[in-house]
Amino acid sequence: MTDRIVGSLLLLLALGYGLEASRMQVSFFTDPLGPRPFPYIIALLLGLSALGLLLRPDPEPTWPPKRFWAVLGLVLLSLGAYAYSVVPLGFVVATTLEMTLLAWLFGASVPRGFLAALVFSLVLYLLFTEGLGVGLPSGFFFP
Amino acid sequence: MDILQALLNGFGVALQPLNLLLVFLGCLVGTLIGVLPGIGPISGVALLVPLTFALKLPPESALILLAGIYYGAMYGGSTTSILLNIPGETSSVVTAIDGNKLAKQGRPGPALAMAAWASFIAGTLSVLGLMTLGPLLAQWAIRFGPAEYFALMVFGFSTLSALAGKNLFKALTATALGLMLATVGQDPQSGIARYTFGVMQLEDGLDFLVVAIGLFAVSEVLMLLEEKTPGVIKAQVGRIYLSLRDFMGSLLTILRSSVLGFLIGILPGAGASIASFVAYTSEKRWLGPRGRLGEGDLRGVAAPEAANNAAAGGAMIPLLTLGLPGSGTTAIMLGALMSLGVTPGPQMFQQHPQVVWGLIASMYVGNAVLLLLNLPLVGLFVRLLAVPAWFLIPAVLAISFIGVYAVNNNPFDLLLMAFFGFLGYLMRKLEFPLAPVLLGLVLGYLMEINLRRAMTLSGGDVGYLFSSPIAIALWGLALLSLLAPWLLSRFHRRGLGGEEL
Repeated sequence: MTDRIVGSLLLLLALGYGLEASRMQVSFFTDPLGPRPFPYIIALLLGLSALGLLLRPDPEPTWPPKRFWAVLGLVLLSLGAYAYSVVPLGFVVATTLEMTLLAWLFGASVPRGFLAALVFSLVLYLLFTEGLGVGLPSGFFFP
Repeated sequence: MDILQALLNGFGVALQPLNLLLVFLGCLVGTLIGVLPGIGPISGVALLVPLTFALKLPPESALILLAGIYYGAMYGGSTTSILLNIPGETSSVVTAIDGNKLAKQGRPGPALAMAAWASFIAGTLSVLGLMTLGPLLAQWAIRFGPAEYFALMVFGFSTLSALAGKNLFKALTATALGLMLATVGQDPQSGIARYTFGVMQLEDGLDFLVVAIGLFAVSEVLMLLEEKTPGVIKAQVGRIYLSLRDFMGSLLTILRSSVLGFLIGILPGAGASIASFVAYTSEKRWLGPRGRLGEGDLRGVAAPEAANNAAAGGAMIPLLTLGLPGSGTTAIMLGALMSLGVTPGPQMFQQHPQVVWGLIASMYVGNAVLLLLNLPLVGLFVRLLAVPAWFLIPAVLAISFIGVYAVNNNPFDLLLMAFFGFLGYLMRKLEFPLAPVLLGLVLGYLMEINLRRAMTLSGGDVGYLFSSPIAIALWGLALLSLLAPWLLSRFHRRGLGGEEL
């Protein structure tokens, strides 16, 4: 059943992808092929594979327990928050918070996780910015 | 003599102090990555590409470092397979069968030493193969035009799809998804924006590193979070030794498996894991009752370890001569080289001999380094496993944040990374192979540009794609490889294909 649902979704994706290609504005000065056919080929390939999946699905995959989806959602949300906060907060603060959360999810106590995360983020920050010259956001703690 | 001269020049590059240091560093870091559960060669190489950019290394040095990590990680994976029955990546699954039995029988030392020697010999042989076959193939491939290139990539994708997973449709879907990702951004010919949905950050296209780290490293973290790996693991290593008798007894196995692994490695799509499976099963059949493969035979360690190292060397041939990566790891190397302004292909042997021959010579050096490094130091590496998962896994993720951020200095890439991490997790759960996505992304641009060049040359005649013998042969091979799984399953049903593993 899962594969059938995935197959249907992929079929929709192929259709949408192909439609989007057909709406591309082509400038008058281009090669004989233009930007459309290559996406059409891909849409066709995806559509056919999706049909194949619909017709010959694999047995049900083993899904994790419901509780894990909450954990997964939390991790993904935190990764999103990390992307938005890394510049204003700086690499060290944002990474420490993210690592603490993950360490806690992997079974560490919060203080231990926090301490390890803080030390590791600081080491990484100094290693990459001072040692290797990679620009990382400093945030307001490290002017 | 040309080749010898070129190789000497290559050694001149490889033995420069910086490159020597990088080989050593690559092998060391690679081994550590291989030993750690959760990060395989692909994530390891992906994580370290930004570092080569940051260090502003010349292309040959960058490639030397990445290649060192690649085969170092392949090697390190065998250590945990043997000692703990935890294969770090798919290519060491087979090694675990006999290797872990040996460890349980109190012979972890010989098993580890056998893995080291088999890898060393196979690595050396595959460098010799690379050295002789590479230039030949490059000379032949120099006549490739856009039509042949397009057909070649179709062939690459079809073999990869046929071999990458259990379900051909899923592999083809993954290929199509990768190609779709490649079309995001500006159209290569007319420059109009495609599939950006008005998001400015997507105009330059998706960066392969962001996708690679998301798909492989982040999704791996999510998988580990689900499994909750045990915190501390203890392993007994003991003395690493190999008696001359054991060594001689396995030498033929090593030689056979090296050749087999090398040939399989050349095929696009058939990577180290297939090589080790095939070498193990054919060795089992070859030895018959003389071997005790499956019950703790040293040859059961020698065969897959030799094959997967030789395959890594073989995989360099299509990468260097045709610009066609055969696996996820080599796709990342291709992406890295392209970012450094070197496009692999037949011309590379002429235009950038220092890159090609420097790499080949450094692989030779690297093999020796791995042997020297691993025989005495395995015990030290294994102690790394005592680092608790709650620290190790978030730490790896933090390093990947830097890798992703450093590509464009753009936090939007971190958001994309999280998205591809989730996508990778779902794909793993649903048993879609991941490598074709990356290959589609890296090759999509080249594929489209070659298609459009071919159409420009022929004035829009599709028949041009099938107009040369090479192109026709490649189309034929592509079709054949798509039928291969079906044909093989028929053979299996009739009992001609030998026993299943």
